Amino acid sequence: MKVLSKKNLTGVIIIVLCVGIAGFGSIEFTSQWEEDAVYAGPGVTEIKNLSDYFADLKGTAGDTKVYVLEGEEPGGTVFVLGGAHPNEPAGMLATVLLIENIQVSKGKVIVIPFGNASAYTHTEPQEAYSREFAIETIEGEERTFRFGSRYTNPIHQWPDPDIFVHSSGQTLSGVETRNLNRAFPGNPDGYLTKKIAYGIMELIRKEEADVSIDIHEASPEYHIVNAMVAHQDATSLAAETSMELQMENIRISVESSPERLRGLSHREWGDFSDTKAILFETANPSQGLFRGRGGSDLVLSGKDDFYLRAAEMDLLYVPYDEEGKPIEWRVNRHLRSLEMVVEVFSRNNPGREIQFKNIPSGERLVNEGIGAFLLSGE
Amino acid sequence: MGNEALVFVVMLATFVVLSLRLKLPIGVALMVASIAGGVIAGLGVPISHLVEGTFAYLDEILIIATAMLFMKGMQKSGLLNTAVYQILQIFHNKKVFLLLSMMALVMFPGLITGVSTPSVLTTGALVAPVLLHLGMSRSRAGAIIGMGSIFGMLAPPVNIPIMIIGAGIDMPYMGFTLPLLILIIPVAIFTTLFLGYRHIKIIPWEELKKGMPESNFSQYGWKLYLPIMFVVFVMLLEKSIPHVFPNLGLPLIFLGGSLLTLVTGAPFKFSPMSKESVKESLPIMALLAGIGMLIQIMTLTGARGFIVVNILTLPDIFLYLGIVISLPLFGAVSSFASATVLGIPFSLALLGQNEIWLVSAVAFVAGLGDLMPPTALAGIFAAKVVGIKKYSRILKHCIIPAILMAIYGLFVIIDGEFTNWLEWFFLGFPIITVVVLILIIFFVIKLIRSPKKEKEGTVLK
Repeated sequence: MKVLSKKNLTGVIIIVLCVGIAGFGSIEFTSQWEEDAVYAGPGVTEIKNLSDYFADLKGTAGDTKVYVLEGEEPGGTVFVLGGAHPNEPAGMLATVLLIENIQVSKGKVIVIPFGNASAYTHTEPQEAYSREFAIETIEGEERTFRFGSRYTNPIHQWPDPDIFVHSSGQTLSGVETRNLNRAFPGNPDGYLTKKIAYGIMELIRKEEADVSIDIHEASPEYHIVNAMVAHQDATSLAAETSMELQMENIRISVESSPERLRGLSHREWGDFSDTKAILFETANPSQGLFRGRGGSDLVLSGKDDFYLRAAEMDLLYVPYDEEGKPIEWRVNRHLRSLEMVVEVFSRNNPGREIQFKNIPSGERLVNEGIGAFLLSGE
Repeated sequence: MGNEALVFVVMLATFVVLSLRLKLPIGVALMVASIAGGVIAGLGVPISHLVEGTFAYLDEILIIATAMLFMKGMQKSGLLNTAVYQILQIFHNKKVFLLLSMMALVMFPGLITGVSTPSVLTTGALVAPVLLHLGMSRSRAGAIIGMGSIFGMLAPPVNIPIMIIGAGIDMPYMGFTLPLLILIIPVAIFTTLFLGYRHIKIIPWEELKKGMPESNFSQYGWKLYLPIMFVVFVMLLEKSIPHVFPNLGLPLIFLGGSLLTLVTGAPFKFSPMSKESVKESLPIMALLAGIGMLIQIMTLTGARGFIVVNILTLPDIFLYLGIVISLPLFGAVSSFASATVLGIPFSLALLGQNEIWLVSAVAFVAGLGDLMPPTALAGIFAAKVVGIKKYSRILKHCIIPAILMAIYGLFVIIDGEFTNWLEWFFLGFPIITVVVLILIIFFVIKLIRSPKKEKEGTVLK
């Protein structure tokens, strides 16, 4: 038998080592393909899929669950999208709390917690995100949620072009081709991200949503944060909401959706349907560039020494102190904003009212934590 | 010293010792430095993060592998020799025109792809032998090609660093053409003439052609040029009608071009050629994989935040200095990474002035990162194209044009009024502008008229 030369032996050892490392890595990567559990609360009347609105999504990584919570009395419809960007967890958690808690008496609430399901199946290279974070329920069950990427998984859509040309002609860097919130109004014949966007547009149109809300987070150094970005048809609704929230000591600014910035939900939902489109932003240090050592602790506590220093040097667009930006605080802002938008809309649109109860209160959220409102598997 | 600072210092020290002292391949040194960072931060060897980090540059690695294949194919098929022969036959006695058209040629693939590497490896590979035949030193020719590829990468219509920063601050890629042209054209003209004018010789054609490899044109005709025409044509189609023409991606385009070289010129075997090209590009691919790991671990351990916040919290005067130093320095990783990690926070911190000019200038300065070792994609490939081993020989020629770029960019970043003046100058008085540009050209020529003897001057005969 011919013995391997020293050079070949080194080669074989390196290949075996690489295969071993890749195998080890792949176990961890593929664990992120498993969907997070969301339990249907007492208010859920139907669970559908996005592919029910756009059949081409069936069986693809872009299909995702749609929770319908319909009241006995007819009224208006509000659509709430979480998880368009899976590295902005407060949006997803706010939608999960809606699904597991609220009970609608009038009108309809439609919720998608994982807007870009593909983007939940991976994390972004060089961002070193924690892949998941856990919250304990009152019953002691540990509910884990994935912390994904801003972009669709390249396993499902690849390669990126050098530049991304939106259907309007707007150009952005190639990676934005996989950004759901640059892909609206979508394209039924486009690649996966465009198809997801098209499916969401179809949902808004077919359900005749009166109000559509896209829940996000932004890094504290980003200039549009703690804000609502509203399409021109929703400006007065957002402005009135903002004023009412100020009275409850929640400061939230209103930004107009720029007409020349295309592909975003607040722009295209409003332009391509009759809905009033609004996007919410809170400050999330775990997705920012200034963060120190991250991990799931930072996702939940929002406390970071480098952000504190940046705040002292006036580099942030939100107040930031030793308390950080805890997840309860961020989710609460979203829920209060949502509640107020619905209240203001219902007040101004008789016959299209939406009413619901059991939305987690701010006080209990902050004092008892999100776990107090999460259901357990049993 | 905070933990993040300690991690950063340990990673840096490990890298320096392994690469400079122990002379390990840079890719390996980066990998070990990343592991050291993880260990010192108390995270052990974070294998999944190391693996994930390498995927950051997967697309670039594929581009490099296939572009190198394409360049080798052009060499073996006789395309390069023929192109050099024909270019020199037409332009050998028109110095300024020759140099400026060579610069435009090098810039062209960068203009359409937004990446410097294709510029160096396609038209750069054509231009290199032309310059060498006219007596320019290899390092100087490499510097012109390297700088040209960066100008191409930054020039409109495609400027990826701006798109990256734009995505981070929600700014559409619109209205950048004029600022970019105003930033790039004067510097490109200066660089070409400064580096090249006194270092090429007018040699009579009869004498020049004696030392040149044969042209294969009479044997294969225009067919010889099909591979490069295919590559440029498909790139143009992708960019001009993106809604109609599918996105093939640079790797597939280069691969198509490489396969074409098999049937359009001198016969050669694909297998040895591909082995040769992989062997040459492997260290650069390993380097990119290593850099991916390094940034991932820096982010994981908080060292990235430590660097970003420390630069941004410098006093104003040092902040501007920090921008012109740190943006190119971070480009040692990659100019695109520099645009992401530093370009976005710098732009956010300075919002309030003319934002289009601000972002253009930040991207302009970040582009210099492609010259910065150890990655120095533009420079290292330029070294390969001109056939020298030490990239530092090219870098030293780039210092003055690079400083000029940094200062020019800095003026635009600091002073919004300066941008108004630039627009007024270049748009308001086009005739004056043309006259001034001509004067700049003559001034540079005058300045560098008396040539010094180049130590490494090589007239290929």
